[in-house]
Amino acid sequence: MSDAQFESALQSREKPTGLSVELRERTSRGMIDLRGLPDDPQFMAAVKQTLTLDLPTAPRTSTAWGDIQALWLSTDQWLILCPRARTEELLSALRQALQGIHSFAVDVSDMRTIIRLEGDQARPLLLKGSSLDLLSADYEAGTVRRLRFAEIAALLHIVSQKPDVIDLYVFRSYADYAWDWLLANGRVVAEVRQFGKQASPAV
Amino acid sequence: MLIVHCPVCGAEGDETDFHYGGEAHVARPATRDPADVSDAQQRDYLFMRHNPKGLHFERWRCDRGCGKWFHAARDTMTMEFKATYGIGELPPRELMKAATGEWAEFFKDKLAKGRKA
Ligand SMILES: [Zn+2]
Repeated sequence: MSDAQFESALQSREKPTGLSVELRERTSRGMIDLRGLPDDPQFMAAVKQTLTLDLPTAPRTSTAWGDIQALWLSTDQWLILCPRARTEELLSALRQALQGIHSFAVDVSDMRTIIRLEGDQARPLLLKGSSLDLLSADYEAGTVRRLRFAEIAALLHIVSQKPDVIDLYVFRSYADYAWDWLLANGRVVAEVRQFGKQASPAV
Repeated sequence: MLIVHCPVCGAEGDETDFHYGGEAHVARPATRDPADVSDAQQRDYLFMRHNPKGLHFERWRCDRGCGKWFHAARDTMTMEFKATYGIGELPPRELMKAATGEWAEFFKDKLAKGRKA
């Protein structure tokens, strides 16, 4: 018996060329699904003590400490990101600290695939698959948003701005689909403005 | 397209980001012994729903956002969302007052009492 080896969902895909954005899979992140009650001071303190960061309590935000990040998923749910190699260690530390506290922590590193989009065309490209106004000022660096993207469940994390770096999380089984969708729609630079004033079409 | 606002996380989006969950405020017949629930009561609980023209009260889920259930007051003619409110709450008083038909009947004693569901 050999140990299970991590194989990324998109490892067989070639590096795309000729796209309006830079596209790559991020395979180095471990992910922990953490649930608990934000108004339970014991829970918040135990998490802080283990991860050295405050869990974000405002909707659609994130916090970071070193190479650990916490993304807000719901009023009682967070996605903790860490170096993949440290996942086990952090998970057991979390479980240790959360003993006896109403909570839940589980390793979901292989549940989702992270696709990183880089460049100023990242937002217009993502706009083609969602109903959000990604061009508005609401979507600043640090913003996390779960959404329906190209008909599938996904999560957006605006990592940084100017130039845009955006992580798109999709469930692993949808990785190929999402990748193909981005390839198909990322070829042409097209200005999409779903919100606000639109130029009238040429007659 | 319906524009829906989640009262839990504040997310706003079209109806494809949300999920419709049937009629609001359907109460299970309360009893300690299932045998005490009459067939008529059970039928009403399972199947009988309002179908008003105008103001209606529904359950929705912030499907692709925070994942939480909430309540919505929607006009079935104009499709306009009049309000969204917590899953454990009653509608704003002015909407309970504006309700007609079976809904008006349903909210009558709740209007007389406080706001807790
Ligand atoms: Zn929500």
